[in-house]
Amino acid sequence: MITIIYRLLVVYVIGLVGWNLFTEKKLTAQMNCAMVLIPLVLRALMIK
Amino acid sequence: MSIELITFIVMIAVFLLGCFAAKLPVSISMVLSAISGALVAGQGIPLRHLVEGMFSYVDTILVIATAMIFMKVIQESGALDAIASVIIERFHKVPALMLCMIMLIIMFPGMITGSSTASVLSAGSIMAPVLMMMGVPIVETASILAMGGILGMIAPPTNIPAMVIGAGIDIPYSGFGLPLSLLTFPLAALFVLMLGYKHVKKMNFLEVQAKLNTESRKKFGLKVYIPLVLAIVLMTLTKLVPAFSIGMPLVFLISAVAGCFTGYKINLLKVSKDSVNSVLPVMGILMGVGMFIQIMTLTGVRGFIVTTCMSLPEWARYIAIAVSMPLFGAVSSFGSASVLGVPFLLTFLAQDEIIVASSLSLIAGLGDMMPPTALAGIFAAQVVGMEKYTPVLKKCFVPCLIIVVWGLLFIAGANILEPFIILG
Repeated sequence: MITIIYRLLVVYVIGLVGWNLFTEKKLTAQMNCAMVLIPLVLRALMIK
Repeated sequence: MSIELITFIVMIAVFLLGCFAAKLPVSISMVLSAISGALVAGQGIPLRHLVEGMFSYVDTILVIATAMIFMKVIQESGALDAIASVIIERFHKVPALMLCMIMLIIMFPGMITGSSTASVLSAGSIMAPVLMMMGVPIVETASILAMGGILGMIAPPTNIPAMVIGAGIDIPYSGFGLPLSLLTFPLAALFVLMLGYKHVKKMNFLEVQAKLNTESRKKFGLKVYIPLVLAIVLMTLTKLVPAFSIGMPLVFLISAVAGCFTGYKINLLKVSKDSVNSVLPVMGILMGVGMFIQIMTLTGVRGFIVTTCMSLPEWARYIAIAVSMPLFGAVSSFGSASVLGVPFLLTFLAQDEIIVASSLSLIAGLGDMMPPTALAGIFAAQVVGMEKYTPVLKKCFVPCLIIVVWGLLFIAGANILEPFIILG
């Protein structure tokens, strides 16, 4: 149960970081967002 | 010159060039520095290791993101304004106690999120006008915010440098509460009194009272404090009842959702987006630090630093801690904790490791006052409206020295203190 809740929480944070990725104007800030997204997406998919 | 030393020099050089010459964000500079370190050591671009490094801090970035959402919710709901006004109204007759309470409010977001930036930008920006209203000059106000931010970052319950140091030698983040409290709260009281007391004792309460925002207290009553109380209850339950261990991110998110119904109306999605936006640089730095450390480990640089630290005589270790940890903080205080904190902890294994790790985290925290990054100093100066942050750094020089001495005293006396401050 707690695993599912945490996966949902990770998905929520992914959504927020992704939203920021598309609203950021600076390329370096977008790169920063993308970098944060990588482990979160892998965690949500339970790949790692 | 050994290949490990050459790799380390290249990594630091690329990082500094990225930060200063190319003006890249710290996180991106760290990635470039990690990649160049791997290339110099003949490892090519080790993608698997870079991703592996990022995973060191996934749990930490979840705590930071959810904690910031919680902080913004209680700020927008009016809870922080309510607490500030209560403290000033109740304690104005005892200015020393009032200053200590204000310092506690400034530290609170850092205590929850583990980020000095969160403290300075959220509670700091609310308390700065209050402090100035009370007669504290602008430089002293910024200095109080900066020191409050750093001590808040180190104070329990969330101390990321201590978590990072502990993770390096497999110590669970448990039992740090009392040592961290003793390391931070007395200093917080000392600094706020040092910087503000002589100005506040001349305060005109009626003038200050007229400017306080008491609306949320009057409108919502005790209800406005519910999210804070809920967070404290859930955190305590998580610690005391293992079956109820739901983790810090969930505690913050549940309390944030509760906060949407206890004060001013809040658009949770919008607040969440803004919160994540304000902590994205910190989250990115953690990802960069993870890669940086992973590549240092892969190429043998970390081992090189560990053996160098361990071969130092005992007296030299104290000097090395006092000088190198704050200096490396110019890269990142988290990086300082990981790269130098772990080997220094290994050299003091004969002493209580929880007290030593806590003290090292305190000294590593000073990295946030180290130019050019100096996150706490820069943001504190920005919040009070100063153009340059150098006067803040000058004003904070003595408090920073006191922090180093206090941390070293705890390390030296760790075994004497252990029976009194390590529970269980």
